[in-house]
Amino acid sequence: MRSQRHTWIGLVILLFTEIAGADVQSDTAFFESNIRPHLVESCYKCHSVEAGKSKGGLLLDTKVGIRTGGDNGPAVVPGKIEESLLFAAISHAQPDLEMPPKKERLPDKVLLDFRKWIESGAPDPRTESTGKISTAPTDLESGRKFWAFQKPVAHPTPNSSKNKTWATSALDHFVFAKLDENGLVPSADAEPTVLLRRIHFDLVGLPPSLQDKADFLKAIEKMGLDSAFAERVGLLLASERYGERWGRHWLDVARFAESSGKESNFTFPEAWRYRDYVIDAFNNDVPFDRFVIEQLAGDLLTATNDAERARHLTATGYLAIGPLSLNAMSREQSLADIADEQINASTQAFMATTVACARCHDHKFDAISMEDYYAMVGIFRSSKTFFGTAVGPDNQLGGELIQLSKTLGLPVFYQPMKPEAVTKLKQDKVELIAKEKEAQAKAAQAVKEGKDPSEFFSLQMAIGNIWRKGAIDGKLALVDEKGNSNVMCMGVTEGEEIKNSPIYERGELATPRQSTVKRGFPKVVQLSNSPEIPEDESGRLQYADWLTHPDHPLTARVMANRVWKHLFRTGIVRTTDNFGFNGERPSHPELLDYLALQLVNEHQWSVKKLIRELVLSRTYRQASDYEEKAFLKDPENRLLWRMSKRRLDAEEIRDAMLFVAGDLDLERPAGSLIGRTGNRNAALLPFAKNIPADLDGSTARSVYLPVVRDRLPDVLELFDFAESSLVTGHRETTNVPMQALYFMNSRFVEERASSFASRIRNEIKGTDSLETEMEVAFRRCFNRLPDAEEKEIGLAFFKKTNGSDALKRYGQALLSTAMFRNLD
Amino acid sequence: MSSGFSYLAFAGLAAEAAAKKSSKGLFVRQPHFPARAKRVIFLCMKGGPSHVDTFDYKPELQKRNGEPWRGGSARLLASAQEFKQHGESGLRISSLFPNLAKNHADDLCVINSMHTDLPSHPQAYTQLHTGSFQFVRPSLGAWSLYGLGSSNQNLPGFVTLSPPSDMGGANNYGSAFLPAIYQGAKIGGGQLPALFSALTGKTEEPGPPMKNIDNPNVSRETQRAQIDLIAGLDRRKLDSDHHNPEIEGAIQSFELAYRMQDEIPDILDLKSEPESIRKLYGIGNGGEGDRFAKQCLLARRLAESGVRFVEVTAPTSWDHHSLLNDNLAKSSAITDQPIAALLTDLKKRGMLNDTLVVWSGEFGRTPYAQGLGDGRDHNNKGYSMWMAGGGVKGGYNHGATDDFGYKAIEKPVHIHDLHATILHLLGLDHEKLTYNYAGRDFRLTDVYGNVVRDVLA
Repeated sequence: MRSQRHTWIGLVILLFTEIAGADVQSDTAFFESNIRPHLVESCYKCHSVEAGKSKGGLLLDTKVGIRTGGDNGPAVVPGKIEESLLFAAISHAQPDLEMPPKKERLPDKVLLDFRKWIESGAPDPRTESTGKISTAPTDLESGRKFWAFQKPVAHPTPNSSKNKTWATSALDHFVFAKLDENGLVPSADAEPTVLLRRIHFDLVGLPPSLQDKADFLKAIEKMGLDSAFAERVGLLLASERYGERWGRHWLDVARFAESSGKESNFTFPEAWRYRDYVIDAFNNDVPFDRFVIEQLAGDLLTATNDAERARHLTATGYLAIGPLSLNAMSREQSLADIADEQINASTQAFMATTVACARCHDHKFDAISMEDYYAMVGIFRSSKTFFGTAVGPDNQLGGELIQLSKTLGLPVFYQPMKPEAVTKLKQDKVELIAKEKEAQAKAAQAVKEGKDPSEFFSLQMAIGNIWRKGAIDGKLALVDEKGNSNVMCMGVTEGEEIKNSPIYERGELATPRQSTVKRGFPKVVQLSNSPEIPEDESGRLQYADWLTHPDHPLTARVMANRVWKHLFRTGIVRTTDNFGFNGERPSHPELLDYLALQLVNEHQWSVKKLIRELVLSRTYRQASDYEEKAFLKDPENRLLWRMSKRRLDAEEIRDAMLFVAGDLDLERPAGSLIGRTGNRNAALLPFAKNIPADLDGSTARSVYLPVVRDRLPDVLELFDFAESSLVTGHRETTNVPMQALYFMNSRFVEERASSFASRIRNEIKGTDSLETEMEVAFRRCFNRLPDAEEKEIGLAFFKKTNGSDALKRYGQALLSTAMFRNLD
Repeated sequence: MSSGFSYLAFAGLAAEAAAKKSSKGLFVRQPHFPARAKRVIFLCMKGGPSHVDTFDYKPELQKRNGEPWRGGSARLLASAQEFKQHGESGLRISSLFPNLAKNHADDLCVINSMHTDLPSHPQAYTQLHTGSFQFVRPSLGAWSLYGLGSSNQNLPGFVTLSPPSDMGGANNYGSAFLPAIYQGAKIGGGQLPALFSALTGKTEEPGPPMKNIDNPNVSRETQRAQIDLIAGLDRRKLDSDHHNPEIEGAIQSFELAYRMQDEIPDILDLKSEPESIRKLYGIGNGGEGDRFAKQCLLARRLAESGVRFVEVTAPTSWDHHSLLNDNLAKSSAITDQPIAALLTDLKKRGMLNDTLVVWSGEFGRTPYAQGLGDGRDHNNKGYSMWMAGGGVKGGYNHGATDDFGYKAIEKPVHIHDLHATILHLLGLDHEKLTYNYAGRDFRLTDVYGNVVRDVLA
């Protein structure tokens, strides 16, 4: 190798000697425009953390990686071209090391740039994460060194001399420093009306009304933008609409749904109680650490009264609403799957770590062992989950519900029964069982006598009996002995038996190892005084305490990142639900640490306070306008040189249509459509009388629409609602003709367009001018008047359309515009 | 799924390029080399049909019925089916598919050496459709459409008929990071499980086959004016934003939606088909078979109208853990006649030459019994699938499993190989059909896949 290397040196130096003296641009800019693009295009595919590949042990996507090099030695030695293997490879100086493989050599101009770069010391602005991680940090020692498992630490706030006037908060300084490092500057502030629309959607999920706009502009006049904006933020955070918006964000993460999903999709008629709990918790700004504890172990908390007790129990619904296989091979298998789902959902939601990968083998990418996994299995297998599904032929897994106090006035959707009716049902069941036994005995006798037993007892009869018994059990579960309606919720309590779990080879119940694993938590997280699980407790409470320990490296970071994501459109860690090796690295690691520490210390886990800090920053206030230079440099806006634009969520689109049409009912509906329909297979929902075909049919806010797994209301399904079987910190945005058809033809939009037209007519009160109609419609939709060109486009429409419903069709078109469902 | 590649530069440029590509829309694109098939009809048999009871004849298994499997507690279970040879080729097809055997043995190209990575439904099902069970990736149909475009601008280029909502759900016809225009359009509501059909006396969910396809309150002229109004306002917004793929996509979506309103109802109307054709497929036979017959006929009509990729999910589950023989009989009775009819019909119209028909489940089943001894468990190590038409050999068996049908041992074909082969038949090089997403060129076959040249006609 060595000797060969010297043969190419001369050649290469001969070939590329005329580069000296070129005026070198700023180091970073040179790297970004002349070096990085080629690394990305030609090398990363096989040599990057992102691609998950490090051929020859070489990673080229980090500064450390490129300098440490791979199996053959350093790829780049700053200043020393002849020792830099990267250059040897790309210049094809060495026949057995031609890179990129099987492709033309890179253009001479590019090679010259690389040479220039290496000779000038290979300045490399890439600071992300560690260097040589050609193998994932799966052992405890390297796992603990991985950034996400290290405690957040306070970093000095950057303070640039160039940034005297722009930054208004600490977070702005972090953002500015990164922009400056990359030769970029922040965008100007957004117009006040743009900002107003943005803050309304972001905090409450609704557009500002005309009155809101007038008030805001008046306030700016009176006290200036800063104070007026702070006042507006305060108002919105105090509004109940805030919990409906931010509670829904959490429901995405909590994989909330009102049915079991999977192959036998049965409804969960009490799931909505958990939904309402979450909305209330956000409105009451329950500190996030407390919120975690309530959801994982609310049943174990002391309550001062029945109402608080009911709230705590309802919170544990979090653990019971997951997707559930009702037809697993055995009850044991079902219980193992439920525990697995609880581990998976909670570790991803709170820690953005995929612990459940270790069910069958040690985690392939993170330092999570099978032992860690089964230590958590013990916790959840020592708990009992109440999901409440009635047994039937296609549901082998019956489940109870948790009883709540009947004296709290909580909504209930089933009728009480007369005590005699209860007695009768019980008698029916006894008789059914007796008859079945008799038939079985006769059939057994027939078998003995060599006769056909099916005359006495067939599979059809067995199935029929399961169905009949299930129906009786289902009815009896809804009332107490006296026939009073039970008030029930989904949730979790301590199990009858507290025990550790063995490790199951390959996750299969048939192959347990001899010894068991003590209940506990993943060891890659080290805490100073980690909670101990007492022998007679499941460990859920300790799990919650462990997660919310102030030293926990992940819980606060993960939540701060989730909040950030919703306000800045992309997380600092873009993979909001995976902070592990396979996830992405933070774009602003110091800023993330800062925010995590702020959440825990300064804000005492108050989510509202964190939101307030973020939206009152200068960074949030930026315009979203296009800037060519910045766009070419950072098209994804990872550096936050502007506010990213976003399409509204499904809920916002629907709510905004109701809002401008004047149809929105802000009252919280009692329960949900599913709660009022009862426990049944979701495949039968289209036949239920009270269920509209589009599963919508209300004018309440979208957060109250039914969420049945694999069977969503049209508007949610079409506009990229969260996949409710998965922890979803980030929704996709798609663009398909079905969405257009929804705007053009759906019952819902037809109704909104009609209301909208009536509203405009009322407002105009007989003024018969197209101009006025357009102005009023525009103001309602976009909070501004149409400009001349927009009016012209409108007039062209009215020229072609002049029937009695022309105004309605004009309004419908406005509701269908990109302007209506996008946010600047 | 936009995960993956944070600080690779130019991801946004990739998005911009994507928008440009999508603005070309669905127009026909040239394949990499002359195609053998112009379109695909994928007959998906969800649940994992038992290969040793259908297309993989194992005399050794028949002989050793009841013997312990590899010394364990499981017992070998011989097939109750008869495996006669059919056609000139002498292809063995079990007695479960009399119509197919009688009329099309010489058309089928059976791969007996399939294998996939995992023996669990959702993962294997997703891998069958997207190549990956781990990550959200574009589906086979989306890749095909991306590669070739579509000749009919008034229809979606990729249609899936009543797909299951579980088993990975919309991933199985999604476009993932490919522009959304390539994702499959779902036609037909969910299929009611048999149990509920019996209970309600109905086979399908109520409601139109496709939602929101029609608005009785508004004329086409008015709608046209609306679309122009929306596009006019959207273009202004797009101009001021400079770069906004969301808005660019929306303008196209409304145009396509407008045209779909006329085209789709025509195609969905099976009444225009002559009675002889309806009978051929078995429409009117009742039950699930009736539904599948309609779906197969609709698949032909869609293919005929220029849809590039049609998937039909048979309204039956092949997941026969118990009562194998009863259940197999039911599932095959539902599917045999319509599939045979589809092949006959395509042939008659001269379409079988350039239509690739694919029949496959997500995996096969074990040669040994499970449970009470009357069912078979999942088997990902070896199973069978077949193709017919567009460019494949007819009356041909490729590869083999061991003596019991447990593991593919001769010329094994992985899902990636199958995908590479299907793309090849469509004139696409699976290594060249790439999409640059966030700085990396992605392929349907990831870094794997070999075209199975033996099956090419």
